[in-house]
Amino acid sequence: MNKNYILPATVLLLSFSMIIFSTVLLPNMIFKPAPSEFAVKYNPTEAKGRNIYRREGCVYCHSQFVRPQDRDFGPLVMAGDYVYDTPNLLGTIRTGPDLSNEGGKHPDAWHKAHFKNPRTTTPGSVMPPFSYLKDDEVEALVAYVQSLGKKRIVKYQRIYHPDEMEKVLDKRKVNVDSSAAANAGRGIFQQNCATCHGTHGLGNGPNAIAISKKPANFSRPFFKDYDDVTWFWRITEGVPGTRMPQWGKLLTEEQRWYLVAFLKTLPRETEVYPKGYESLDPEKWVEQNMISAAELNSAKPAMIIETKGPPPGAGGGH
Amino acid sequence: MFFSDEENSASKNFIITAVFWLVIGMTLGLTGAIEFTAPDISSGIPQLTFSRIRPAHVNTVAFGWLSMANIGIVLYVVPTLTKSKLFSNKIANFVCLVWNIVILAGGLCLVNGYSEGREYAEYPVPIDVMVLIGLLSLSFVVYMTAITRTVKKLYVSLWYMLGAFFWMPLVYFIGNRTFVRLDGLNDGIVNWFYGHNILGMWFTTLGVGIAYYMIPKLTGRPLWSHSLSMLGFWTIAFFYAPTGTHHILQSPVPEWLKALAVVFSVALVIPVITVLTNFFMTMKGNWWQLANNLPLRFVLTGALFYFITCIQGPFQATRSINWYLHFTQWVVGHAHVALLGTFTFFDFGAIYYILPRILKRQIYSFGLARAHYWFTFIGFLIFFASMTIGGLVQSAGWHAGIPVNIWGIEMVPYWILRAIGGFLMWFGNVLFLLNVIQTVRGVKPLDSPEEEPAMAPAKG
Repeated sequence: MNKNYILPATVLLLSFSMIIFSTVLLPNMIFKPAPSEFAVKYNPTEAKGRNIYRREGCVYCHSQFVRPQDRDFGPLVMAGDYVYDTPNLLGTIRTGPDLSNEGGKHPDAWHKAHFKNPRTTTPGSVMPPFSYLKDDEVEALVAYVQSLGKKRIVKYQRIYHPDEMEKVLDKRKVNVDSSAAANAGRGIFQQNCATCHGTHGLGNGPNAIAISKKPANFSRPFFKDYDDVTWFWRITEGVPGTRMPQWGKLLTEEQRWYLVAFLKTLPRETEVYPKGYESLDPEKWVEQNMISAAELNSAKPAMIIETKGPPPGAGGGH
Repeated sequence: MFFSDEENSASKNFIITAVFWLVIGMTLGLTGAIEFTAPDISSGIPQLTFSRIRPAHVNTVAFGWLSMANIGIVLYVVPTLTKSKLFSNKIANFVCLVWNIVILAGGLCLVNGYSEGREYAEYPVPIDVMVLIGLLSLSFVVYMTAITRTVKKLYVSLWYMLGAFFWMPLVYFIGNRTFVRLDGLNDGIVNWFYGHNILGMWFTTLGVGIAYYMIPKLTGRPLWSHSLSMLGFWTIAFFYAPTGTHHILQSPVPEWLKALAVVFSVALVIPVITVLTNFFMTMKGNWWQLANNLPLRFVLTGALFYFITCIQGPFQATRSINWYLHFTQWVVGHAHVALLGTFTFFDFGAIYYILPRILKRQIYSFGLARAHYWFTFIGFLIFFASMTIGGLVQSAGWHAGIPVNIWGIEMVPYWILRAIGGFLMWFGNVLFLLNVIQTVRGVKPLDSPEEEPAMAPAKG
């Protein structure tokens, strides 16, 4: 062999071993996160479900890590959450939503109907129907999906308000879960809030067009995570940097609690929960409802109207 | 056919079977694209479900078409450039047989759900072993050919090809090491080391090597600068491999690894600029040749797409742009402009040039070949535009706070456009397959060889 090529061959060999060392071996030697509070040690059913998730290729549309700029996907993930996740199912594309915190977001029956025909629960979805899964496979898959994030979206007390705000609960006299309070709140909302937030709370009131920081659309899933005190705090203190006033100076405490009661009744956008889904027999979900996908798809969600052309003020702000 | 010892028979077998896998892989891709516009079309048949079709499509076009076509071209180019015979056509032919079994068995495994679940490394273990044995045997053949060569100086294409046959078996081995169980994120890190380097150290190096061979050969002009081409080679060798982590840039993997990936990704501008400068300076004063030189047109279209993909790449890898574009369909467009727009177009050009020289027969129909070019080119432009614009639209919606599943409805026009572009490409490549079959069968060519001298065998 010509000796001129010994040097290049050595350089090639050395450089590539250096790269393998620094990007393959080194991370595995020094990067060993301890299992976090939310790392799921899968039980046999969940592990089986994870295998089905992998087999069916769910990872090609659903990612499993939340980024700082993501909304609606719950708390940020940590390195320790993934300790038991082999093979990795991080994913590289979001044709569908991120699933890192999916556990607890929907009831089991919702998932079963969703796997059978995704368009019965999510109109306009492009997810293929997985109706060919056997019953025990569906059970396992649901168990796995419900284990994701260890239901931290439910368990985790998401505190948006300052801690001292909690003490307003002590002197609260209004039952915010009653429809009487919600009805009282409706009037207050129409008088004070609807000019910006719109009569249905979609953030599209007549004033919205003139405000650069758009008023909030309360049908966004983000607001479905608000607890009573957070609502009360937002109404009382306003939102800094926006035109949202400090209603604490204008409305009495009782009136603000009525508003909270009303705001909690606003529906979440386009999530279709057929009537009384909790009482349904999951096995007969589809038959009992008899909602065809075509019928649901024809009812276009409000979102479409909002997003065509220059937005009439449907804001994404919170 | 797979046991012959004839000169160039291995190259021929690899190229012809690759074209079959191209059409099958594209059919799978087109099926997937149609399912996006009509998701209920799979109607509960597991093998037709998008999520099972997608890995089958990716692996069939990546390993079945692109790898096999590249190998076929390398097995022709290496003996030509070293002015010696291929070390062993028998071994190479045997690998071709094994490789065909691999793609068939692997595709069936994936469609039926036997997948390892790591992107680009989905093939089950027995198939990984077969691929690895095939790669090692090919490396042996290629290196032995280079060692027993009669020409002393190694042309730049050979550097790239020999490099690829050194890197790829290693990269493949690391990516498919299922016997070492790694924790979730470490598994992801190694997965993307592999997933990125199969592009960087295999498709890119072979593709660029092929283009370095084709452009001077087709124009009949010498390469503009040999030292610049060497700079390109060494910068690829140093900068490409550590960049894999940019695929999971915002996941909780170590920050130093992300920083490493970003820095080296941006540094990749250097090899790209040197390679393209060299290509286009070689073309200086020769652009008129595109008029009646279809293979050259393919290769240069590929070079233009190479420019697009490699300018996108380094920017996408920076944190601020990754922040906006990651997880969107933009990335799908980017991946296709690299593998389909660039390296597939290089291979089309090379096959139209090499096939007549191996078979000593003119390409059956130049008209079909031109139709192939235009259908693929226009189809790809539609595909690329729809995915790129769609990706920007998607991200805009997400960052306005609209949930993913709701905003997906806005993507419908782009899904439809993608399926249309995909259909045009698929149709163009069916024509390509017909053309290749007719040429191999030895049907009398339709045109006179003067029309496209590059697609007719050299006289004498």
